[in-house]
Amino acid sequence: MTGIDHKKVLAQRLSARLGRRAVLKGMGAGLLTATAASGVPGIARAQQSGHLKIASIKVIDTLDPHFTGFLSAIQIINNIHNGLLKIVYDGENVTFEPDLAESWDLEDDKTHVFKLREGVMFHDGTPCDAEAVKFSLLRVKEGEPASPHAWKLALLDTIDIVDPLTIKLTFSEPYAFLPVALTGSTGRAGTIVSPAAVQQYGADYGRHPVGTGPFKFVSWKENDAIELEANPDYFEPGMPKLERVTFVLMNEASTALAALMAGQIDGMTDCPMQLVDQVDAFPNATLYGEIEGNYTFVGMNCKRAPFDDINLRRAVAWALDRDTIVQQAYFGRAKKAYTPISPPMTSFYDPDIATSGRGQWFDLEKAKAFRAKAANQGEIEATYVMAERGPVGTRIAQTVAPMLAQVGIKAKLELVEPATWLKRRNEGDFDLYDFEWVADLDPDETIYPEFRSDGAWNFGGWVNTEFDELCAQAQVVLDVEERRPLYYKAEDLLMDEAGIAIMAHMPIYKVFSNKVQGFQYIPADLVNLHTVSLA
Amino acid sequence: MLRQALGKIAQTLVVLFFVSVASFGLLKLAPGDPIQIMLGSEYSQESYEQLTAQLGLDQPFLAQYADWALRFVQGDWGTSYVARTDIYTYAFKEALPVTLTLASFSLAFAILIGVPLGVLSAVKKDTAFDAGSAVLALTGTAFPSFLLGILLIWFFAVKLQLFPVMGYISPWQDFWGGIYHMILPGLTLSTYFIAMITRLTRATLIEVMEQPYIAAARARGEPSWRVIWVHGVRNIAMPLVTILGLQLGTLLQGTVLTETVFNLPGIGQMLTSAVLGREYMVVQAGVMMTATLFIGVNLLVDLSYPFLDPRLRARK
Repeated sequence: MTGIDHKKVLAQRLSARLGRRAVLKGMGAGLLTATAASGVPGIARAQQSGHLKIASIKVIDTLDPHFTGFLSAIQIINNIHNGLLKIVYDGENVTFEPDLAESWDLEDDKTHVFKLREGVMFHDGTPCDAEAVKFSLLRVKEGEPASPHAWKLALLDTIDIVDPLTIKLTFSEPYAFLPVALTGSTGRAGTIVSPAAVQQYGADYGRHPVGTGPFKFVSWKENDAIELEANPDYFEPGMPKLERVTFVLMNEASTALAALMAGQIDGMTDCPMQLVDQVDAFPNATLYGEIEGNYTFVGMNCKRAPFDDINLRRAVAWALDRDTIVQQAYFGRAKKAYTPISPPMTSFYDPDIATSGRGQWFDLEKAKAFRAKAANQGEIEATYVMAERGPVGTRIAQTVAPMLAQVGIKAKLELVEPATWLKRRNEGDFDLYDFEWVADLDPDETIYPEFRSDGAWNFGGWVNTEFDELCAQAQVVLDVEERRPLYYKAEDLLMDEAGIAIMAHMPIYKVFSNKVQGFQYIPADLVNLHTVSLA
Repeated sequence: MLRQALGKIAQTLVVLFFVSVASFGLLKLAPGDPIQIMLGSEYSQESYEQLTAQLGLDQPFLAQYADWALRFVQGDWGTSYVARTDIYTYAFKEALPVTLTLASFSLAFAILIGVPLGVLSAVKKDTAFDAGSAVLALTGTAFPSFLLGILLIWFFAVKLQLFPVMGYISPWQDFWGGIYHMILPGLTLSTYFIAMITRLTRATLIEVMEQPYIAAARARGEPSWRVIWVHGVRNIAMPLVTILGLQLGTLLQGTVLTETVFNLPGIGQMLTSAVLGREYMVVQAGVMMTATLFIGVNLLVDLSYPFLDPRLRARK
């Protein structure tokens, strides 16, 4: 195992942060909070100004980072909390850097030592030390009730508190997914919450979140708004810049856009693809968005006829005209996908994938050849379960159905309500459906839990033990060069056996009015507002 | 009188009981599972089962209903599954006032615009004015209210920037601000009712104007405005109030779309998201409130007849 490269890169990243750390120490942050901090926060607050109002269009389930399943909630949670690590994007590469940690070292490939920042306090005034970090990690790993993210820390063996600001995590195996698992964003497992607040509020923590982040939680009025205010004691000097942030909870994206154009709100945490043209044409707002870590696909039920037939599945996989799908279903905004690994995974994505000969693409002759080999040569009728859900609703099903007809599959489109759709998908009551896995930053979470033979999310029920072994093997390899070919092989199996028919990688958009400055875009559907100010 | 009132109340309770059983049962029969929805895509079977048991959703239907009903009558409306909101605060203190404000504004618009228009149409029967108002009324009934809402937003809020696009301010806290925010949604929701009241007023007034007492009033030499606005309009009050009471259900239905378009945090939005998220107890709270409101208003309509028609008072 070569953990050395990993460590070297880490050291380089850390040295770049030294300057900022020195400033923090100079401020004597520990002393500041210990002496009840009367005048100092006042001075700090003076730097903060402006009230940002931003529409949040999707469902917010809870503000408890360890229990949410929604990226729209993470967007807000991440402004209240910090993770042990954070995601950094320089416009080209996505990397993982210490956030609450000051340094992150590997003693060996299974032992990670985190030195925490000094003097960081939760919003309730309790210290964020090694005890608090341990508390949060254990809450995810083995808390009651069980966190849906517990699996991300399944390999975590022991947590040792070396000193009040140093914590040592020992894993049973080298854990390549760890950097993602420990971020405060899509990983969720590494988000650190205030132990005092969890003890006080219990299951209601999600209504009273207390973190270390740039903004403090103020209030949450159902269907109305979530209010945050600046945390003047935030550990990154000079931040946050805003005094107040309101997430306006909305159901109707076109109303949000109208409110943005009328100047009633300053941005949208999500801009549906069908509104992007309108935003582009509007001079006073800026669109942020790139292809993010996701992939969309047509799922087939491999557990029952007709799609238990590999040749029929292959026929579907080669019959989908991805150019047409991108144009008609995704408003021309998405990018054709050949395999699940997506562009933001810069160490794993192959920029020349289109010419590499790997994956699936549109080839009607090939599709027809596979169809000719299928067991059932008669006309096949298949139930395609669709709902007004996801980024583009039923557009995919409508675009795909005629393509399937070309290989003699008559898709019976069944429109159901989203909750019903979810139930039918989870229970395998479908022949075809379409779905998207989003906010992936590592190939492990991109394919392994989704397509593992006994995986809880493997709704299509594709089974391949070689695939399982490759992914399990890749999980414990830290070296990127060694890890990459394992995932390529695993992906190739999935694509060749057509466990799914892959379609596209989608851009995820956010909009801010031009008054809003300093927003740092990260291709993981995050809306971090600590650097944002209002002109 | 007292016996009558008690009878009405008993009747109301029976109706509420059936409404609550029906809405609870229907939502349970609909496929969908709140736990699956709240866990999102990434969950394990273990956390699924644990959460189901924790929220009591593994209990049989009748036990769940009985548990809810017993708590509800004691004033414990429960906590929503996902967001852990106190449902009483959410539904009764936050959402209900919004919907009541919106409904009152719409009713006020409907009466203040619909009645005068109807009266004028009746008086100027078969003139160009009458024909014009008939066309307007027909358009009003036929026009989908959400589309009107979006058009009003684009024209008055985005292009002319005269009104806010969305949002709610309580008129109790900021009277003018509240009214300002209610004008566009109020108009959107009331178009249908303005049209309906205009036609109803016109039809009933034409009938009333042919009654002998109107001829008598004219014969006494009373001025024309008095004949119409006092003798005439007073006699259309009863059918008007009856219809308004019965149409309250339609009005409450309309709040769902209007609240969504204008992003008002009322019962309509609450019920929509609760039904989509299978938040059984929130749906129950919403249904019980609207049912009570509907029954209560129709009770008031019944009780108002003696005030509107002296002949009913005399008979007693």
